[in-house]
Amino acid sequence: MSHEELFTLFSKDLFIPELKAKNRDGVLEEMVDQAVEAGVIRDRDVILGMLKNRESLGSTGLGEGVAFPHGRSLAIPTLMALFARSSKGIDYGAIDGKPVKLFFMFIAPPIEKENRYLPALGQVVELIRDETSREELMGVKTFEDFQKIILGGE
Amino acid sequence: MATVQEKLLVLVALQDLDIMIRECDDKTHTDKLTAMGFTQEGREDLEEARKELVGTIDKALVNRYERTAKRLGRAIVPITGNICLGCFTIIPTSYTSSENRDKIMQCENCGRMFYWPKGS
Ligand SMILES: [Zn+2]
Repeated sequence: MSHEELFTLFSKDLFIPELKAKNRDGVLEEMVDQAVEAGVIRDRDVILGMLKNRESLGSTGLGEGVAFPHGRSLAIPTLMALFARSSKGIDYGAIDGKPVKLFFMFIAPPIEKENRYLPALGQVVELIRDETSREELMGVKTFEDFQKIILGGE
Repeated sequence: MATVQEKLLVLVALQDLDIMIRECDDKTHTDKLTAMGFTQEGREDLEEARKELVGTIDKALVNRYERTAKRLGRAIVPITGNICLGCFTIIPTSYTSSENRDKIMQCENCGRMFYWPKGS
C-alpha cells in the first residue's frame, strides 16, 4: 500500500490534534464520539465495546508513546482511520508502561473486499518505528501537518 | 427488560466478539499482528466477556444466533437500503416498515437476522 493510499483512510473529520480525555476509556470514547460525529460509524456503544475487548486481549499501546486501537465491527460500513494526539500523554497500559501521546485508530467491517485493514495498520506501525516521524507527529497541530508527515515518508 | 433493538445490538456485539475470538485462533492473522508487535494473550478474557454478554439476553435468542452463525458465519446484518447485506437479495419493503422494529426479522432467503443501525 502506498502512502497516498494510506492517507485516503484518514480525514480532517477524523483528526483530533489535542485530546481532552485523561484515561484509557476516556480516550477511546473521545475518538469514537469523533467518528460518530463524522458519520462514519453506525453504533457508538458496539464499537466502544469492541475496542475495549481488543485492549483486554493485549494492549495496543506498542510503546514509545504510540497506541493503535483497532478491530473489526459490524457497526462500521467501511474501513476508517483516525489520528489523535495528547501532548501530555495518557496512561494507557502500554507494553513499556510509558504514557501514550499518539493514537492511530483503525476500524474495519467484518468483511472488507479490498483487504486494506492489516496492510494499513502495518504501514503505520512501520512509519512510527522511525523516531523522526514519531517526534514530528508529537508536534502536529493541523491536519495539513499530519498529511505532510504521512505522505513524506515515501 | 431490554427492547428488541437492544437485544439485537447485543447480538451485534456478540458477533464482533466472536470475530475477534476467531481471529485469535487464526494463525495467519495472529502472525501478522505479532510481527507488528501486538500481544494477544488475553483470549480467556474474551471468553469471559462473551459469557457476560450472553447472560444479558434470553437463551432462545442466543441459540438462534449460534445456529445461524454456525451455518453462515455471520448471523446478523444491518439493514441499510433494501438489500440483505448477507446474501444480497432484495428485502420486501414491508419488512423495513417501522411497525416491524419491535420484532426480530430475518432474511427470507438466507435466514440472517436484521438489525436497524442507530439513526436509520
Ligand atoms: Zn439474506
